[in-house]
Amino acid sequence: MSGTLAVYQKEIATYFRSPIAYFVIAVFMMGTGYFFTYNIFLTGDATMGETLRNMGVLLLLVIPVVSMRLFSAEDSTGTMELLLTLPLTPWQVVLGKYLGAVTILLLMTAATLIDLVPLYLFGNPETTTILSGYIGFVLLGMACLAVGQFFSALTQNQIVAALITVPVLLGFWFIGHLQSFQTSYALRGLLGYLSFSLHFGAFIQGLLRTEAVTFYLAVSAIALTLNASYLQWRR
Amino acid sequence: MSSLPVIALESVSKRYGSRTVIHDLSFTVEKGEIVGFLGPNGAGKTTTMRMIAGFTTATSGRVTVAGYDMATQNAEAARQIGYLPERPPLYDTLDVSAYLRFVAKVKRVPPSAISAELDRVTAACGLAGVFRREIYKLSKGYRQRVGLAQALLGTPEVLLLDEPTIGLDPAQIQETRDVIRAIGEAHAVLFSTHILSEVTLICRRVAIISHGRLLAIDSPTGLQRAVEQTNRVTLQVIAPAQALREELLSVAGVRAVEIDAVPGERRMLSVDCQVDEREGVEAAIARAVANRWELRRLERQQPTLENIFLRYVSAAPAGSTAA
Repeated sequence: MSGTLAVYQKEIATYFRSPIAYFVIAVFMMGTGYFFTYNIFLTGDATMGETLRNMGVLLLLVIPVVSMRLFSAEDSTGTMELLLTLPLTPWQVVLGKYLGAVTILLLMTAATLIDLVPLYLFGNPETTTILSGYIGFVLLGMACLAVGQFFSALTQNQIVAALITVPVLLGFWFIGHLQSFQTSYALRGLLGYLSFSLHFGAFIQGLLRTEAVTFYLAVSAIALTLNASYLQWRR
Repeated sequence: MSSLPVIALESVSKRYGSRTVIHDLSFTVEKGEIVGFLGPNGAGKTTTMRMIAGFTTATSGRVTVAGYDMATQNAEAARQIGYLPERPPLYDTLDVSAYLRFVAKVKRVPPSAISAELDRVTAACGLAGVFRREIYKLSKGYRQRVGLAQALLGTPEVLLLDEPTIGLDPAQIQETRDVIRAIGEAHAVLFSTHILSEVTLICRRVAIISHGRLLAIDSPTGLQRAVEQTNRVTLQVIAPAQALREELLSVAGVRAVEIDAVPGERRMLSVDCQVDEREGVEAAIARAVANRWELRRLERQQPTLENIFLRYVSAAPAGSTAA
């Protein structure tokens, strides 16, 4: 546990001593602010629904920026040699890094809460729906981060890590659209189950379903397990 | 506890695909011993260091550190190892204190002892002046020292240093050697270098490795003795080359003669004679040459560590003939 904590603290220090965290949070706030204003004036509805959906897509592009360096940078600067020879297990390294990235995700998410101020000032939004939407958003972000972190471990090159992560995340996002081309009931079910966007859609509508929560957590768990096993294997 | 092997390699081999980089390597390092690890570039020094440090595992054979098998108990062993890789593993954006604090925490230095521990290694490595500076702002020498400080944290039983003095200025090299020597009194130190004089200065034993094979492991004087059987006499003479060669080869005890012109000196020749151990060979050579030509200099060559090293390394088979 102390090892995970030490890695976590190191990660947080690295984020805030370099421009990454500030940049990512600022860009995400700007993007979200734009979508929020656009949706509010277009629909005149005091909801976060459409904005959260847009935030989800934006997330698919921002997450790789955070995740690409997680292991690639350690590899290219030689610090991987330190991490893997210190008294740390692969799981401690993987978890410490993941929790650090999740912290950035939470800060990013928290920064967008500013949009709720005018919503509550001038409208009468449904708090539970917004809450469930945000829970879904964080879970989606966590799954994306875990996937991105795994790909970052596979290459020394941050750009390559990002270039693999973006299409994979977009694939998971749009895979649900393939449903309409399928006639097989089982295949339609499977495609729907794998879809990041369909599960997220349920959250936005205010449905906090166990199936969706489990799905995102399972994706995270699988990606992190692959990540830790890979570190163990490469020794 | 004393003189137990703290580092032990038992017929260790490492293969990457079909390429074998380490062949059947066995040696030990005991507590209170500094062993120098010598070898040309690409000899397998770094790979061996990495296997001992637990960064990679041996394909076959056994590596044990402080009694722990690195294949199965590397987490336990890691606490006993201080490792400075070839490239100091530093986080550029952190400052020196934050970096060392991170390593100290991971090495389970008790929170109350961390400050004292940081002070200790900072003093040992001369880092007090840059303690609060970001690592990316440091010069190569300081980066190397931060890497060394990191390895010293938590007073590990085993210290693995891959080229620790590279990039340092002469004063820093001196200080680093003092640090290594002081640690070597109570711990096991294995360090690789290509500065041969360094080895004679601080090592009790030297391991010479080439093409992934251990060629020799002995004290510097022991190695010297082993090589001394073939001696060399060098001389400078003003003489015609062909006649000189014939004259020298006729002297009893001279096995081979190599003649070169001395650059910048007309008609002067520099001669390298391989001689056997017979008494008075030099005197016989001197007499034979001085009788006919002008002898300027004659010297019996003691084998230096350079010679020893080159002899071992050049005698080793070039290709990686898989064992």
